[in-house]
Amino acid sequence: MSRKRSLALLGAVAVVGCALGGETPPADAPQEKPDAAVDSRPAGQRLYARHCLSCHQADGWGVPNMQPPIVGGTWVKGDPKALALFVMTGGFDSAQRKEGATSHNVMPPFRQLSDEDLAGILTYIRAKFGGGASAVAPAEVAEARATLPPT
Amino acid sequence: MRATRFAKVVSLILALPAATMAADNDGLTLPPGFSATVVQEGQGGGRHLAVAASGDIYLAGRDGLVAMRDKNGDGKVDESMKLGDVQGTEVRLFKNWLYVSDNVGVYRYPLKKGELAPTGPRQVVVAGFPMERQHADKTFALDPKGTLYVNVGAPSNSCQEKDRQEGSQGLNPCPILEKYGGVWVFDGNKTDQKATDGRRFATGMRNAVAIEWNPAQNALYSVIHGRDSIDTLFPTLYNAEDNATRQAEEFHQITDGGNYGWPYTFFDTKLNKRVVAPEYGGDSKKLSEAGKYPDPLVAFPAHWAPNDLEFYQGKNFPAKYQDGAFIAFHGSWNRAPEPQAGYKVVFQPMKDGKPSGTYEVFADGFAGEMADNNPRNAKYRPVGLAVGPDGSLYVADSQKGRVWRIRYGK
Repeated sequence: MSRKRSLALLGAVAVVGCALGGETPPADAPQEKPDAAVDSRPAGQRLYARHCLSCHQADGWGVPNMQPPIVGGTWVKGDPKALALFVMTGGFDSAQRKEGATSHNVMPPFRQLSDEDLAGILTYIRAKFGGGASAVAPAEVAEARATLPPT
Repeated sequence: MRATRFAKVVSLILALPAATMAADNDGLTLPPGFSATVVQEGQGGGRHLAVAASGDIYLAGRDGLVAMRDKNGDGKVDESMKLGDVQGTEVRLFKNWLYVSDNVGVYRYPLKKGELAPTGPRQVVVAGFPMERQHADKTFALDPKGTLYVNVGAPSNSCQEKDRQEGSQGLNPCPILEKYGGVWVFDGNKTDQKATDGRRFATGMRNAVAIEWNPAQNALYSVIHGRDSIDTLFPTLYNAEDNATRQAEEFHQITDGGNYGWPYTFFDTKLNKRVVAPEYGGDSKKLSEAGKYPDPLVAFPAHWAPNDLEFYQGKNFPAKYQDGAFIAFHGSWNRAPEPQAGYKVVFQPMKDGKPSGTYEVFADGFAGEMADNNPRNAKYRPVGLAVGPDGSLYVADSQKGRVWRIRYGK
């Protein structure tokens, strides 16, 4: 083994050692496969990237015919609780709003996300795509969630 | 007199941009010796197109069908008209008929000699495909006997119990495959068939928009749209880079009784192997049972969106292009946040019906800068291909309905 390679290996061991030295999650909890770079974005933006961006795109405009835009819609800047319900029930694909669903792809319901995560996403999209509409508090998401039928 | 002078001025103005375009190929990059000219500026979003022996062009689109004619032979369309009421993707010429389709049926118009727009009534060839939102375009191919091969795309990404919902498992067996996710055959010479009269020819195909009869092989081929969203649906197995790069767009010869593996598997371009889909117990490494589904002839990059396929038998292009495959890649949306890709026409050399060497980019530069990495900002997106009577390759765009003619030599 060359000196260069053994140094590189030592370095790799050190990095792994550091990583394990931090908070260790329980062994049975599946970990998300990380993206290459360390993510320093604010939580709302990071969660948008994780759950929403691939369909609605980074600019919030969606993709013509495929997924509708968030930008320019009335939901994003409207009542925070109505928006929380909209996202938790699958947007235009929820049973109550089927007539509004015109794009090719369906939106899944995001009820599995916590109040805090949803509040983060909604705050981010309202600021960025909703003309600076007000932030959403986790308590508002919880209030909206309480009106949903049990799963 | 005044009228004549006016006409001259107008024709000069019209001729000027045409000449400029010829010089720079309208911003497209092509192999040496090829040139592109704009034959049609665009009348709404285009889809597939067909070129008749007379040179007349028929362009399908979501706003309806457009018939176009170059009356003075200057390479530009100077008569065009909307015709009929069919809004869809496919258009083909077969014998003395113009075949078209929308999301629920296949139709044809009789085309008399010399006629640009058909005057005869529209006939129903097949009707009654269920109305769906996803993968609903009923593209089709016809063989020389008139057998009609219809792509019936799956109204689903991966046959999850709940479509596109994180962690939702795949239905097994996938019930969608009974009516969708394959090719159904009909008699293209018969009218008033029902969708349920068709015979399932091949299955396990998510959406085979690019479907074509290969006359050199007397066989059906397709480039199939691969699945989306392995990262957002299964974040413990895949990250955004995996999603942007691993699920091939699969080029296959489609045989009677063939099964191409959707939704249970996909061809992973990183492992260069067919793997079990995460909805069906896949763990990002688990290989599909050997020999159960064919490997693709070519595994094209993920999400490029193959929207048309054309085998070249024209007289204009150099010998290496004979019987090879041109593929129009509409371009990705599901690579975000990674840079979008595709948006080009690719050439795959073929010999005896099999790929002969690696594919090469034939025409590129359609999308332009594409602000914000969003497909809506692409300048053009190639979506349809056809070969004209002189061997020119025609390319249609979905953003504005622009049509280019690509020629070799003078």
